[in-house]
Amino acid sequence: MKVFLDKDVEDLLTKPSRFSRIFPFSIQDLLVTACTLFCAVELCILLRIVDPSGEFASLIFVLAVFLISRLTHGYLFGLIASVVSVVGVNYIFTYPYLALNFSIAGYPLTFLTMLVVSIITCTMTTQIKEQEHLKTENEKEKTRANLLRSVSHDIRTPLTSIVGVTSTLLENADKLGQSEKRQLLEDARDEAQWLIRVVENLLSITRMGNEQAEIEKKPEAAEEVLGEAARKFRKRFPAISIAVQAPDNLLMVPMDAILIEQVISNLLENAVIHGETTTQVRLSVQHDGKNARFCVADDGRGIPEKDLPTLFNGMLKRSDTESIDGKRNMGLGLTVCKAIVHAHGGTMEARNCPEGGAEFTFKLPLSVEAKA
Amino acid sequence: MKIREKILVVEDEKSIAHFIASVLNTNGYETMQAPNGSQAQSMISSWCPDLVILDLGLPDMDGLDILRALRTWSSLPVVVVSARTHEHDKVDALDLGADDYLTKPFGTDELLARVRTAIRHTRTSSGNGEIARTGIYTVDDLVIDYNKHQVLVRGENVHLTLSEFRIVALLGKYAGKVLTYDFLIRELWGPRAGNDNQILRVNMANIRRKIEENPAEPHYIFTEVGVGYRMAEGE
Repeated sequence: MKVFLDKDVEDLLTKPSRFSRIFPFSIQDLLVTACTLFCAVELCILLRIVDPSGEFASLIFVLAVFLISRLTHGYLFGLIASVVSVVGVNYIFTYPYLALNFSIAGYPLTFLTMLVVSIITCTMTTQIKEQEHLKTENEKEKTRANLLRSVSHDIRTPLTSIVGVTSTLLENADKLGQSEKRQLLEDARDEAQWLIRVVENLLSITRMGNEQAEIEKKPEAAEEVLGEAARKFRKRFPAISIAVQAPDNLLMVPMDAILIEQVISNLLENAVIHGETTTQVRLSVQHDGKNARFCVADDGRGIPEKDLPTLFNGMLKRSDTESIDGKRNMGLGLTVCKAIVHAHGGTMEARNCPEGGAEFTFKLPLSVEAKA
Repeated sequence: MKIREKILVVEDEKSIAHFIASVLNTNGYETMQAPNGSQAQSMISSWCPDLVILDLGLPDMDGLDILRALRTWSSLPVVVVSARTHEHDKVDALDLGADDYLTKPFGTDELLARVRTAIRHTRTSSGNGEIARTGIYTVDDLVIDYNKHQVLVRGENVHLTLSEFRIVALLGKYAGKVLTYDFLIRELWGPRAGNDNQILRVNMANIRRKIEENPAEPHYIFTEVGVGYRMAEGE
């Protein structure tokens, strides 16, 4: 019973949209239809010079109807084209010319053929399109599931540590020395900060929306975004020195500043956490032709050569193979970075510097129109 | 006996309210807690706090509505705490009259700095007390001389244009507080200037090139991305 009810409700809800899916109207489709029919007419007129009998006319129009049904969306234009063609062939290209005469032998057959061709093609086209839609939906669903799995996995470890630390402190407060307590609390704080980072990245993903490229770009001063990211970085890692460089001329870059700040913060933190031996980080932005080129370089241990090719899709791969020596990798952070830069119509790459350390660069287009 | 400033913490999450209250208590403030909007409103009028820390996501009403209602009759300083990350939420709160904002998660030092600034600004009615007394605002090597209309860095006049000086002067007057782009534009170029903040950005870039050692690592004027600017505080 419940199933039926649900289905009914669903039918009710989808009815209007189903109608508009089967008979959608768009100017583009109208133009396609008009052009194709026009071409068919021209072709018939030209061919009549060679062969005045006009027998080919209906064949050409069947072809035209087929093409229109295939190229337009839904059933609307296919059906219109078949009716127009039938009348057109009758009126212009069959004897008596420039007059309608439906009593010609075999005429109902022409009409039927065109109608059937149009309906079948429209059905097939619509089905193919729906399948494509389903396929991309499925892929998105899969990415989402992978993301969830990898994030839950990443969250469980620090949570375990935080719960462990706090309950140890609560239960054994009197047995622990002052320095031990401090060490435990520092661990818990670091883990919590790591969790915050994960959540910030997840928020960035939701901010970008589920459809890509739905970001709001506004011209922002690159130096301001850099300065802010650097200030927050200095607060979190006071021991690491950071040098920031921006061009003398003010560089305005169209971007979602919050998201780009997230990218820079991720790269800066990665430089410290995954660089391991990092003591200084260089952050810079340059005017580079039609792009703004952002660069984060460190003097750490660099990126292991074997990780370079899969660096940016690490998050999706990770769930299959256990991460290297059980360490959390930079998967989520970098994947988010790349997604954000792509949504801005930019590119991102990573390399090891010849003088040691890793270098991440990303470019953002300076023109507002460029889209991913 | 020292009179302690009274702070009302309006926050429905018990753990966060507890954390904020204990930080403030250990730093010499007196606190009360209100877990929802209606209780907060009655406590504001009965307990008369010196400052309200207001969470925007309350169970019974929107924190912004409390702020709106409060601003019709009082200029009591309000620091908004919000888990919302979209910058226009912060801008809305600030434009509605909040004195400052904290985004969850925030640290204790950040909390204390915001509280200190907000309380100081109400004690001296027209922004900064130092300016009212001496006509001068100083932070590190930067001196804003309101009488002579000039800005000195390490004793040297940096020759700002008139609009540049007005921006710096305004930020200095509200040092420690974030001023939204809209607020700055309205104050500087009037209500009909529109909300194109391009001209503000360009002016700011020029100011930074004159007063900061490295404009990309500002020491005096900070950017709150998507929200506005904040002048560093002296002392």
